[in-house]
Amino acid sequence: MIRRSYTATYVALALLLVAALVASAAIGAFSFTPAQMSRFIGEALGLVTPNDAEALGRNVFLQLRLPRVLVGALTGAILGVSGTLMQGLFRNPIVEPGLAGTSAGAALGAALVFVLGGGSALAFTRPLGTLAVPVLAFLGAFVATLIVYRVSSSFGKVNVFTLLLAGIAVNAVCGAGTGFLSYVARDPQARNIIFWNLGTFTTADWHGALLIASIFVVCVGLALRYGKALNALMLGEDAAALLGFNPERLILRVLVLNTLMVAVATAMVGVIAFVGLVIPHILRMLRSSDYNFLIPASALLGAALMEIVDVIARLIVAPAELPIGIITAVVGAPIFLWILLRQSRLGVYG
Amino acid sequence: MVELNGVNYRAGGTEILRDISVRFRPGRFNVVLGPNGAGKSTLLRIATGLAEPLSGDVRYAERGLSAFDAQELARMRAVLTQHVELAFALPVAEVVMMGRYPHFGRVPSARDREIVREALDLVGMTDKEQQPYPTLSGGEQQKVQLARVLAQIWAPRGDGHRYLFLDEPTTNLDVHYQLHVLSIARSLIDERTTLVAILHDLNTAFQFGDHFLLLHQGRVAFEANGASEVPVEVLERVFAVHARPISDPESGEIFWRFNL
Repeated sequence: MIRRSYTATYVALALLLVAALVASAAIGAFSFTPAQMSRFIGEALGLVTPNDAEALGRNVFLQLRLPRVLVGALTGAILGVSGTLMQGLFRNPIVEPGLAGTSAGAALGAALVFVLGGGSALAFTRPLGTLAVPVLAFLGAFVATLIVYRVSSSFGKVNVFTLLLAGIAVNAVCGAGTGFLSYVARDPQARNIIFWNLGTFTTADWHGALLIASIFVVCVGLALRYGKALNALMLGEDAAALLGFNPERLILRVLVLNTLMVAVATAMVGVIAFVGLVIPHILRMLRSSDYNFLIPASALLGAALMEIVDVIARLIVAPAELPIGIITAVVGAPIFLWILLRQSRLGVYG
Repeated sequence: MVELNGVNYRAGGTEILRDISVRFRPGRFNVVLGPNGAGKSTLLRIATGLAEPLSGDVRYAERGLSAFDAQELARMRAVLTQHVELAFALPVAEVVMMGRYPHFGRVPSARDREIVREALDLVGMTDKEQQPYPTLSGGEQQKVQLARVLAQIWAPRGDGHRYLFLDEPTTNLDVHYQLHVLSIARSLIDERTTLVAILHDLNTAFQFGDHFLLLHQGRVAFEANGASEVPVEVLERVFAVHARPISDPESGEIFWRFNL
């Protein structure tokens, strides 16, 4: 019979996510017991009378730890889903959200605000307030992605190889731009860019958590509708068209969704590499390459793994903490090479 | 019936098809022949709706192709192409289920699953339904693709007409799989099933085909009903070969031996 029920896998991933969330909320420079955490949440919701003796712990938990946990989980989910969508689009598992210029464009847009935001050159961003970084990141990501898309599509078709090469070129230009900005920046800003280019959750607050949550709900909600179409695209653009899908429209829509998600996440936490590559790969090996499964599952696993990595980042050099991107690169790059080896040996992925 | 009326097509300033008018009727095995570059694949792309002709039109059961929406068309028209590779390890049954995608929303119905089983059964791949597609041999993969394509038009709705196109379906297959794929296709023919195949091997074409269309330099060189009606001297000219008939001593059937 045809295996269609992924329920057991979803339940397992959800349990893993809950465990990772609780661990990530509890562990850090301040550690909290489950009883404390539930009391703080109860107090915040007005269910329990606040206990002033614990005011400091409560503030740390509610104002720093919880938004950080949420931003981390949502970023992981977004990067996981984004990797899945990009791999579906390119029909290749060696694709990362950063490939189409999205991350580098977002990084350049955000770096512009970091360095020039106070000056007159970017005065127009001032009314945006704290939204200036995500908005410019989106613009940067969108322009970069659009250039890559335009260069690589002719006669209404996307050529994957041209897309890859165009991505390399656009990434180089954006990287040079970000490098230039950090060079001309006065010291604190330069440091800001360097940190942020390595990926970090230390700046997470409720404002950012709500922004990223709303983008997540909209984009992943829409992405869930493309499972069948991405499956059909595995057979090639013509075969997908013969099954009644419109490949060009699908590619454009998925690119836009991807840009939006990745840009907002990048603006919030910086560049975190390899998560989008590794998450779908684990799921393909674990269960299936069916996109109806991969899209929701990569959100769950992406969130869970990002929490685990964040806990490691907080513990490994405590009381300081390591930028997230360093850990994901150190763990992700060998996995990437291993996938490459496997691919060249077997000619098969997943 | 699939009807092409005065179809012209150009690509990059080059004329690919010129004033093609042809009728592919149901109930018979329609074969399109022609040397490389004759425009066969373009003709098929236009007949299946993948490409639009520069001028002229395509009609399915007297209804213009542009009047169908993509999903509606996908429920009655399917195309088996040359070897399809899959970069991901999807189980065979999932690949065949893709043929049902135009028929269901998010979750396949019990009937969809049943059709997948029946299609796999017809091509003799039931025992491999859980095997990852990329681990199959080329011949087995092509049988799975045939099952997928058949599942797509298994039980057409509406007027019940269905249209199956085969684009050099047996390239790279050994003789057993060639005969198997073409026999299955042939067994499906009825008065509501239009079958059109591009075939390269002329003897295979004559063995299975009922109606022959020869394309040469983007034009129709001849149309013939039945292998015995094929004007062999035109074949010789178009393919630039010499043809010698050899008759099977038992059945009296004619085979062709081609020489340069």
